[in-house]
Amino acid sequence: MSVDVVLQVVVGGVLLGGLYALVAFGLSLIYGVVRILNFAHGTILAVVGVMASVMFASWQLSPVLIALILVPGVFVIGALFYRGLLRPLERRSPLEATIGTVLVTVGALLILSDVTAVLAGPMQRNILLRAPVIEVGDIIISITQLAILAAIVVLTLAIHVILKTTWFGLAVRAVTQEPVAAELCGARSLGIKTLTFGVGSATVAMAAVLYVLTFPVDPYMGFGLTVKAFTIIVVGGIGNLPGALIVGVLLGVAEGLVGLFWGPEWSPAISVVLLLLILVAFPAGFRWRRA
Amino acid sequence: MTGTTTKRGQQWRAARVAVALAAVAWLASTPADAKLGSCTDPVVFGTTISETGLFSTLTGNWRKMTEIFADEINKAGGIKLSSCGDKGVPVKFVVYDDQSVPATAVQLYERMASVDQVDFFVGPDWSSIGGPVPPVAERHGIPIVMGNVATPSLYQRGYKWVWGTPAPAVPRWSERYFDMLAHVDPKPKTIMFLTHDNPVMKAITAVWSKKAAAQGIKVVGEEMFSADLKDFTALIAKVRAAKPDIVYISSFDNPSVPLVQQLRQFKVRAMDVHHAMLTGALKKQVGKDLEGMTGELTWFPSVKGPYADLYERVMDRTGITMFDSIWTLARLNSYLVMIQAIEKAGAVDREKVQKALYKGTFKSPAGDIVFDEHGFPDTGAFTIQMQNDKVEVVWPPDVATAKPIWPSPTWQ
Repeated sequence: MSVDVVLQVVVGGVLLGGLYALVAFGLSLIYGVVRILNFAHGTILAVVGVMASVMFASWQLSPVLIALILVPGVFVIGALFYRGLLRPLERRSPLEATIGTVLVTVGALLILSDVTAVLAGPMQRNILLRAPVIEVGDIIISITQLAILAAIVVLTLAIHVILKTTWFGLAVRAVTQEPVAAELCGARSLGIKTLTFGVGSATVAMAAVLYVLTFPVDPYMGFGLTVKAFTIIVVGGIGNLPGALIVGVLLGVAEGLVGLFWGPEWSPAISVVLLLLILVAFPAGFRWRRA
Repeated sequence: MTGTTTKRGQQWRAARVAVALAAVAWLASTPADAKLGSCTDPVVFGTTISETGLFSTLTGNWRKMTEIFADEINKAGGIKLSSCGDKGVPVKFVVYDDQSVPATAVQLYERMASVDQVDFFVGPDWSSIGGPVPPVAERHGIPIVMGNVATPSLYQRGYKWVWGTPAPAVPRWSERYFDMLAHVDPKPKTIMFLTHDNPVMKAITAVWSKKAAAQGIKVVGEEMFSADLKDFTALIAKVRAAKPDIVYISSFDNPSVPLVQQLRQFKVRAMDVHHAMLTGALKKQVGKDLEGMTGELTWFPSVKGPYADLYERVMDRTGITMFDSIWTLARLNSYLVMIQAIEKAGAVDREKVQKALYKGTFKSPAGDIVFDEHGFPDTGAFTIQMQNDKVEVVWPPDVATAKPIWPSPTWQ
């Protein structure tokens, strides 16, 4: 196996892993603040990806414009979904609330997938931009891939800056760390949670537009992505964006290398295997920094 | 005295319970055949279609097509039965969506046998569903002619009531393509198989990799991929390293969409990229990336075999073409074969129909369907190539609509 072949796979893995990390950011934010495991999170990517592809195929809109239309829309729908369907469950006992949120989010997953399949068809779709490619030896990288990588880096930095420097970021971190104390200090829990659910959903919508620029989506692929995002936040740490980015990239590269050295049919399973191995070997999780 | 009465009473109650249980067991084990032998009731075919789920991309509009097929048969006089003085009996379908889920399909066939009391089963598709459904037909003694269930081993389980009309059948899937490879110039020397992890696709690769080797084409690689895989970088890196003359994609159309796109993106070179399921649905998804690729087509309207007019009318009224929905032929064949078997039997009688199906020969637009002793057919396919955004039949030459362009210029 030549070095070029391995490098090609690593480049592909970094791109895919970066997209996984973007998906995980949203899930991590939502779980950190709202304490709800949103099983429909990956399905948002699938549905928004299908919508973006349909918009591109129907009206030839630029992907940037598609993102500008879809991302705010998903923000609003995410916030309404939380306020309308998930928030009322918080009044119930902890057990009922937990079971209720699982049922609601899994139900949303199934409904979103089926409705999208009925309206847009169950086939795979993407936005194929015939961008030029750069060839370095036997390694091929398209300009689209480079643009996606750049967008992932910019988005990661933007989310990091928002969480570190804005009032919203401060409130999110406060609610994540100590919800009761945060509320006592003036952070309105309901507002923060609603905003966070919207931002988390918008993040995955952004990831969806980037995803369909290079990989196809279909209405039923969402749950697999949610599992990968779970793996990333469990290993990387809740609310830890740099950790999620590193783990996402490692997962993408691991999938690629497993495909190369073992067989592509094993690639989708690697996230679950990694998750199980890490849970067994490091039951307390990784410590990315000193307490 | 009282004790004896009580004991007798208990024995009597036990006897009544035993009789009731026996009656229930007898009723449960009796096939639901209320209408069998009738010359007035419609003949009811029970079937499932994968209208949702994984395989739904392959079954576009089949429910409507099934209704139109029944309408066309009934307009032509129905199923002719000698036991009814050659009177035509109408055909009627009970159709459910199996959601592409084998367990759901099994439940639905049980329901059709016991609740809907259909006369015969037709049509379930895909090897993953064609595996678990036949035992239902066996249990109830209902003849079943399955559609696109192409894995031969599924038929070799000693069944008495099971047949299938997959088109093409795995042992003849790429027969004409490999015949073409033996005649093209320059001749390919190497081939690599990329296989979707699915029973029928693995069976195709198993058969045709042996055939390639027997024909002197060296197999330089066999890679498998799951239906969920989106990033084919690793697999394509292996293809680029192996540099095969032929890349043979053995996959359903939908899971191979990113593969075809990324083969183009990574500038894979070959004499030909062959897709075992080159369909209109795939073309809609990948567009011009399909240009120059070869594949299989089970039948096209220029081949005027028996019932070709019927099939053309059904497809026209449904609004589908054979290329858009290549699995349509096998599906319609399953209906047609069952109708011919009933007519041969001369009565709506499951045992007589079973005898008519056993090692029977039946007409279809693509040629005769001849069942072996396991109920497996011998249907072949024509080789097609995408040329200037159109589907052309390129092999065999006697029915070809265009000559093969070789080596395929878009992969150079």
